[in-house]
Amino acid sequence: MRRIPIVQGEHSVVAEPDVVISTLLGSCVAVCLQDPVARVGGMNHFLLGEPGADSTVGAADMQRYGVHAMELLINGMMKHGAIRTRLRAHLYGGANIIAGLGAIGSSNAAFARQFMETEGIAIGRCELGGTHARKVEFMPYEGRVRATTVANAPPPVIKPKPVAEPAGDVELF
Amino acid sequence: MPAASAIKVMVVDDQTSMRAMIRRTLQDLGFKDIRDKAGPVEALAAIKSDRVHLIISDYNMPDMDGLQFLEAVRGDAVIGKTVFIMLTGSADKEIVQKAAALGVNNYVVKPFAPAALKEKIERVFGELT
Repeated sequence: MRRIPIVQGEHSVVAEPDVVISTLLGSCVAVCLQDPVARVGGMNHFLLGEPGADSTVGAADMQRYGVHAMELLINGMMKHGAIRTRLRAHLYGGANIIAGLGAIGSSNAAFARQFMETEGIAIGRCELGGTHARKVEFMPYEGRVRATTVANAPPPVIKPKPVAEPAGDVELF
Repeated sequence: MPAASAIKVMVVDDQTSMRAMIRRTLQDLGFKDIRDKAGPVEALAAIKSDRVHLIISDYNMPDMDGLQFLEAVRGDAVIGKTVFIMLTGSADKEIVQKAAALGVNNYVVKPFAPAALKEKIERVFGELT
């Protein structure tokens, strides 16, 4: 069994058996997508739903937003033969764990639900909200997923992202 | 300096949420006339009957990809010179090179910050007001 842990801003797509993608969530949301016919699936882990008008956010940080994280996940799956209309989503996370942070978790959960509705993606399991962290494990090829609540979750690991390379170094202008 | 409000834009992306986000970004930049379509086929029909100044198109779309769309635009006698900015993934260097050969005006790497889109538009049109 191969394990692929992902953290905030990351995603992974798998089209082979006996692989588990896992992540640890607080207020973030993870979406597990699967195409049961193509037997390809993937998981992402995003921090916030959509960027605001704040143009100071760097490109490297944009993958932490759901709208981009979902695009990367869906495109990654389509490259492996998935078809959008066959996709099924399992949604996890969006807890309101830390007092004083407002309802970020709820906002993320609402984004995830709204995104699936807007894009016409069927929702399978949906464990959003609450006040506890969750550990999510997803076997994309088999389409199996499970989540367990974690009482004392460690703070989320945020890997430093390399500065986004603009499509290699192709300079048009 | 062109006024953003005078530039007619067509946004083409198969993901509804992404089209909505690009639309909001353009509105924040001052664009007023923004149309959007889920695919190149519908977009081509729309812009042939009602021309636009700027096309912002995703590359990765199921029925016709961004390169095929660009080729169709450039091959059309009426809309052939429309400014075309393509949205690509970070690992798509080869696609950018092909797009450049087909006459793309610029490209934006997804995921992109609003400032990046503004910068690429301004490199073609000049500073927006």
